[in-house]
Amino acid sequence: MSSRGPLSAAPTPGPMADILRGRARSRQGLFVGWIRALTPANSWPALAGLLVFAAMLALQQLIEPGTQRLLTSVFLFVALAQAWNIIGGYTGYASFGQVAFFGLGAYTVAVLMNNYHVSFWAALPLAVLVGVVFAVAIGLPLLRLRGHYFAIATLGAAEGAREVINNLTSVTGGGGGITIPTFGSDAPTPYFGKPGFYLAFLVLAAVSVVVAAVLARSRFGYAMVAVHEDEDAAGAVGINTTVVKVVAFGVSAAIVACAGAFYAFQQIEFYPTDVFDASFTVLMVIMVMIGGSGSVVGPLAGAVGLQLLSQFLRVNLGNFNQLIFGAIIVLVVVFFPQGVVTYLRDAWRTRQFSILDNVRRYRL
Amino acid sequence: MIAPSEVPSVPVLEVRHLAKRFGGLWALRDVSFSVSEGEILGVIGPNGAGKSTLVNLITGHARPTTGQVLIGGQDVTGQRPWVIAHDRVARTFQIVKPFRGLTVRENVAIGAMHGNERDRSVRDSLATADELLDLVGIAKHANAAPMQLSVADARRLELAKALATRPRLLLIDEVMAGLRHHEIESAVELIHRLRDAGITVVAVEHVMKAIVSVSDRILVLHHGSILTLGSPREVLSDPRVIEAYLGHRYVKRRSE
Repeated sequence: MSSRGPLSAAPTPGPMADILRGRARSRQGLFVGWIRALTPANSWPALAGLLVFAAMLALQQLIEPGTQRLLTSVFLFVALAQAWNIIGGYTGYASFGQVAFFGLGAYTVAVLMNNYHVSFWAALPLAVLVGVVFAVAIGLPLLRLRGHYFAIATLGAAEGAREVINNLTSVTGGGGGITIPTFGSDAPTPYFGKPGFYLAFLVLAAVSVVVAAVLARSRFGYAMVAVHEDEDAAGAVGINTTVVKVVAFGVSAAIVACAGAFYAFQQIEFYPTDVFDASFTVLMVIMVMIGGSGSVVGPLAGAVGLQLLSQFLRVNLGNFNQLIFGAIIVLVVVFFPQGVVTYLRDAWRTRQFSILDNVRRYRL
Repeated sequence: MIAPSEVPSVPVLEVRHLAKRFGGLWALRDVSFSVSEGEILGVIGPNGAGKSTLVNLITGHARPTTGQVLIGGQDVTGQRPWVIAHDRVARTFQIVKPFRGLTVRENVAIGAMHGNERDRSVRDSLATADELLDLVGIAKHANAAPMQLSVADARRLELAKALATRPRLLLIDEVMAGLRHHEIESAVELIHRLRDAGITVVAVEHVMKAIVSVSDRILVLHHGSILTLGSPREVLSDPRVIEAYLGHRYVKRRSE
């Protein structure tokens, strides 16, 4: 045991003091550091992503219009699931109101294009802005709530947003819906057509995956996980939990609003009940939960898997497709409560593939 | 040895008439003291004496009903935890609060990312984390999940997480409870090394023996009030302290 030194002892120089005070490390730019840190072992997800993106671009030339439309909707849900995962998965705030940003994005674009003859590309950033502003406005009070309370409050906020759009008849057309002029001299921006929207939603999906992947590996990503795990402990290590929650909510809202904007243009004509449909939110949640929350691949796999499965059942099973779809979701949730991708990753790491053991582990 | 009162500089921590009421119960009442730079202050008291409440009030995890908290002479009363953390105050939690979904290394790295003297990249933070894990002696568990750690190692992780924020004042809340004898010894040694490296320590403990060997001064809390504050020898020989800890009968028996 060391003896007690004088009370106002000067710090003893040496490695111990260095470690405890921190010493200047290399001050290279963020991206330079990242690129230097790339190794074959950690760059394969990025390469795989690039390959898939290229394959999807090439595939467009080969497929028929029906398949093209299906894949376009898959891309939409990839973006929505990634967005939900940022606030619901990483940050741990299960929002049941994300469709509000979708609807607001859609209506911002439609109103600007229809009423003010603004081009789509000028309306798009404004749609994102409206989504983010609404997210910050409701996030500041609602992100103080936890668990079920937050879920219910966001659900209410989304219903409220729909009612506002519904009742602003003079601007939005109210319940009578709204139409975006897409042809002739009335059109502020010419309609993209099927190939155009395939490309647009593919890029949107890719951007959302990249945003999620970059966030997840950043200091902010660790802050989101820390907030998810324990807000008191996160605050104690210097994380401004309010900022983290609001920013995560805002980023999520930005992606969703962007998706809503493209969706509006694609649909041309729609009603508040279409773009504020709570089933969008429900699908986001289910896709993330089935795939596995808190990772980038989980929501990606969940969105692709469920959207393809749903289409397959609709084509092949006729009337009972929804019933079977629901049953499959229930079974997956029962057997893989942590999500399929998370199960596979953990099973691969531990070499334990027993599904019964998995159920026991998560269902105590 | 210089007595704390003669140190001319502003105290690292000063608490003035701090009080906290939970409903009808005063968890803490009119507590005032100050801690000088480089000092190790022990805080002891029976269960429910208000020790953890005191730490929570200092670090912003609870708001005082009345009174003030000053860090380096600045009033930080009622500030949020991350503001206090950026005033170079770190803490551990009595009930350990690891980030369960992350590895031990990542748990520590978060403090290096978001505390003071921040590392600019995740990679640098992880390197810092490795150094700190080595320092507290759990480097071999760097890739483990925090829930796999033993009680002693989980406490060490708490300490490493706190140190990663580069504090000048460290509040440790019962870091030795439930540890074995040799584990307590190494914890005591670590606290001395921290002080030698320039960190002021406030150590809340239930284990009397451990606290006596680390502290320069000891503050005794009882029913939310300060029972006494003095050198370990003074405090240990104070009959009120013995009574608070061991009850009337022990005091009577000893005096017979």
